[in-house]
Amino acid sequence: MGANYDAIVIGGGHNGLTCAAYLAKAGRKILVLERRHVLGGAAVTEEIYPGYHYSTCSYVVSLLRPKIIRDLDLPSHGLEIMPLEQSFQPLHDGRGLVRWSDWEKTRRELARLSPRDAEIYPEFGRTMVQMARFVKPILDMVPPDPGSLDPRGLSDLLRLGKRFQNLGPDLQAVKYRMLTMSAVDFLDGWFESDSLKAVMSVSGIIGTFLGIRSPGTAYVLLHHYMGEIDGAFRSWGLSKGGTGGISLAIASAARSYGAEIRTESPVQKVLLKNGSSEGVVLESGEEIRARVVVSGTDPRLTLLGFVGEENLDDETVSALKNFKMRGSSGKVNLALDRIPDFTCRPGVGPHLFGDIAIAPSIEYLERAYDQAKYGDFSERPYLNIVIPSLTDPTVAPPGKHVMSIFVQYAPYHIKEGPEYWPKKREAFGDAVIDTLSEYCPGIKEAILHRHVLTPWDLEQEYGLTEGNIFHGELSLDQLFFLRPSPKMARFRTPIENLWMCASGSHPGGGIMGAPGMLAARELLRTRTV
Amino acid sequence: MSYDTIVIGAGHNGLTAAGLLARGGRRVLVVERRGEVGGLASSTEFNPGYRTAGILHDTTGVRASVIKDLDLEKHGLRRRSEPVPVFLPERKGTGLLLHRDPSKAAPEINSFSARDADRYAKYQAFHSRLGRFLLPLLNGPSPPVAGNDRSDFWGMIKAGMNMRRLGRKEMIEFLRLAPMPLRDWMEESFETPLLQSALAAPGLSASLLGPWSPGTATGLMMYEAVRGAGIQGGAPALVRALLAACESRGVEVRLNESVSRIRLRAGVVVGVTLAGGEELDGSMVASSCDPRTTFLDLMTPRDLPLDLERGMQNFKARGNVAKVHLALTGPLAFACRPDLEPENIRIGESLVSLEKAFDCVKYGEMPVEPCLDVAVPSLSDPSLAPDGGHVVSILVYAVPPTGTLEWTDARREELGDLVVSRLASYAPELRDRIVGREVLTPLDLEREYGLNGGHLYHGEQGLDQVLFMRPVPTCAQYSTPLEGLWLCGSGSHPGGGITCGPGMIAAAAILNS
Repeated sequence: MGANYDAIVIGGGHNGLTCAAYLAKAGRKILVLERRHVLGGAAVTEEIYPGYHYSTCSYVVSLLRPKIIRDLDLPSHGLEIMPLEQSFQPLHDGRGLVRWSDWEKTRRELARLSPRDAEIYPEFGRTMVQMARFVKPILDMVPPDPGSLDPRGLSDLLRLGKRFQNLGPDLQAVKYRMLTMSAVDFLDGWFESDSLKAVMSVSGIIGTFLGIRSPGTAYVLLHHYMGEIDGAFRSWGLSKGGTGGISLAIASAARSYGAEIRTESPVQKVLLKNGSSEGVVLESGEEIRARVVVSGTDPRLTLLGFVGEENLDDETVSALKNFKMRGSSGKVNLALDRIPDFTCRPGVGPHLFGDIAIAPSIEYLERAYDQAKYGDFSERPYLNIVIPSLTDPTVAPPGKHVMSIFVQYAPYHIKEGPEYWPKKREAFGDAVIDTLSEYCPGIKEAILHRHVLTPWDLEQEYGLTEGNIFHGELSLDQLFFLRPSPKMARFRTPIENLWMCASGSHPGGGIMGAPGMLAARELLRTRTV
Repeated sequence: MSYDTIVIGAGHNGLTAAGLLARGGRRVLVVERRGEVGGLASSTEFNPGYRTAGILHDTTGVRASVIKDLDLEKHGLRRRSEPVPVFLPERKGTGLLLHRDPSKAAPEINSFSARDADRYAKYQAFHSRLGRFLLPLLNGPSPPVAGNDRSDFWGMIKAGMNMRRLGRKEMIEFLRLAPMPLRDWMEESFETPLLQSALAAPGLSASLLGPWSPGTATGLMMYEAVRGAGIQGGAPALVRALLAACESRGVEVRLNESVSRIRLRAGVVVGVTLAGGEELDGSMVASSCDPRTTFLDLMTPRDLPLDLERGMQNFKARGNVAKVHLALTGPLAFACRPDLEPENIRIGESLVSLEKAFDCVKYGEMPVEPCLDVAVPSLSDPSLAPDGGHVVSILVYAVPPTGTLEWTDARREELGDLVVSRLASYAPELRDRIVGREVLTPLDLEREYGLNGGHLYHGEQGLDQVLFMRPVPTCAQYSTPLEGLWLCGSGSHPGGGITCGPGMIAAAAILNS
């Protein structure tokens, strides 16, 4: 029987949809299969309680590639991104700290904490932007294979080396230190204020099972500065109608190019013949054939789940098992009947329109990590909060609000075992609210609904293995040509005609769309489809 | 008096550099602050009749080419014929005597896990293959890659090509492991907690990190790559041979003279000033002190380029290791294996216990169960103790550095008690046999041995402070931005420990210049 489609994409998350849209745009016949009733994967908007539209999982856009927005003409499909311009850190003493997109305004805020830090802050920003300029093109390239003698790969490596050299001696050293140092040690070299270092360092740990003192976390600080040079919007933004709006815009673009998208169509397995993929079998028993199957799910679910250990060689199986996917975070979504005051800065002001970080000190964050290391959720976790209804009133009924709280650490592997998480879900939710109410005392009275997602829920409901929001930790040993393993780093798998196109591949997680775009480009370049 | 080169510090690296420079025809003076040579490798009498075998007691990293080039064997040095096994005691059970040779180790490991015995052979084989790539890197100057004026594209390409010689599979494995936490590597490799922690521990001695910290795998790979069988009689025997070799080549050594300033004229080093005011001339000064002492204490900030001063202030040298010496009237005997008289012992029950010890240190708290690296040097050199007596030499990993905890006399004794009771929980007869004890906290080590920050390796060895980053990119090739000033101590590549490596490579760099 011939193939019905050129390519089947498993999973209607933003990367799967991006890949599908690019392939469809190139004239290929594409089918996207989504397990759930709603598109978006972890970039999804759901109306859990009537009138309240939660960005259930991922809640901010970070680094969505401007090229994708242009190539797929996403604004005409309804994409609208509103920048998150500031970052508020409530503290117990003083007025807390707001870092604005305007450096001069930030400098005045910082001067209250440390005049010295206030002076250095702009210089730090400039250095980071230069660093980010070096790193950014890596996001848009297919990783070379350093072990191969393929001239294409070698020239990629040489180009990378040349670019590194062009940074000049001083920046080379900074770059190298960023790759290897902890966020705290790196920031110690610049700043003296403990609370400033704390709030700046947290971007280094999101989605990893690391602490802010763990080497390698300095590197991720750069992600905050990459948006600045992308030009389209600042590093962080909210999508109108919730994060799902991005996925829906990409889906609409894909459809406009002729892609077919089916929801509530869970894939059971990849159809194999002589070690090569021929299509998929749905849980309903339906068989659909295609020249290529592209998986938008994580590497472990793709291969150990849909292909099966029995069809894989030992090396691949152990690489997949060694690929670290330890989920470390949870999510609490609140429906509020008002915005309560933060003690240090009362009133609804512009400081609440950006993100709000509960990260008061280095020791606070480090102790949160220590609890998680030994299998507990942090009693006093790091919280990253946004109130999207302030910027986008369409997501809540008039006068009401939604609050999105990202919580770290909530380890998937708790000491009672991950399946015990449902029994701890409410205690986890309580810890989050108790933490928040130390800075925002009226929060408890303002809550109308509370929706708690543990790493276990992220796995069960959203198909994220071990609840890892990035389809695998973003640690140095799992990036670039090592993501998810040297043999699978270029979107291919050991199964012929089975490819991957999501966050488990280079350049990793977050709402970037880069893996989806790069996988499609590579599929087309090699004429696989 | 005028010399070709003045070496500051007569530790094993200072003596190595001095000896090799003299061999190259230079007229060399070594100035030592203490009353004896050897620095951290010197033997001191810590209790009447009992002598230590150095602060650092592991001599397995001493470079063979130094022994050869300085004819150290002619000057009395003897190498051990095979590495000493490490004993890993247990409170219940028989403990594990871990030989380096996998065939000797197999029967012992087998009683814990047959799978681990097999994996251990593969693990050692991996290290020896990796060693072929790492050794040239650790026996020569680091490739000039980042941040150096001489950093050249071809240097980078050469380093890359050298790595490719490992073969595709091994190279990728190296790249994957290098940034990993030891915990992940050990858990992938072995299932016996005792084995996991014992193998991981040496990778943690050099920096303020625990096994959960990424990059710690590299520290272990570098440690394993250079391991030989060690020196008969340990560090003091090495120092004796080095001194004899130096003297035979006309090196002058002045003890009890401390350098107060490195003298500059128009930005060029012209010699040193001693604490007593005496000025010595030398066309070159090679400092084997730690880099922070060299640049921040022996020079004034205005003499340094701004980026060097900043680099030194950010150079991390937070001493996280303490030292305890015990004088015993009898052997150190373990309840789980009374017949055994082990020379090396490692105490750290599991990776979790290593990490928990590190947790305490992060907050400036006394560790609850620190990892102990124990040696009984009097077994191979009975002259260290009176008849029948023994000396126990204990490196205590993961203690709070001076900046985080105030090391008072009371805390010093508290640490001593803690270490003794930890060791005694495995060796119950220990307490009755102790006749003397010395406890050296990071603060004591800083004061006695002139180590800025009290760090035994002259600076931490995380990934950001090794190779071309050690101590800072502009000084990574042993020369410094100050003409005539060179570095030759553990703060330079390939780093700390009793290895003679930095002294050896620095001397070659100076002679080449």
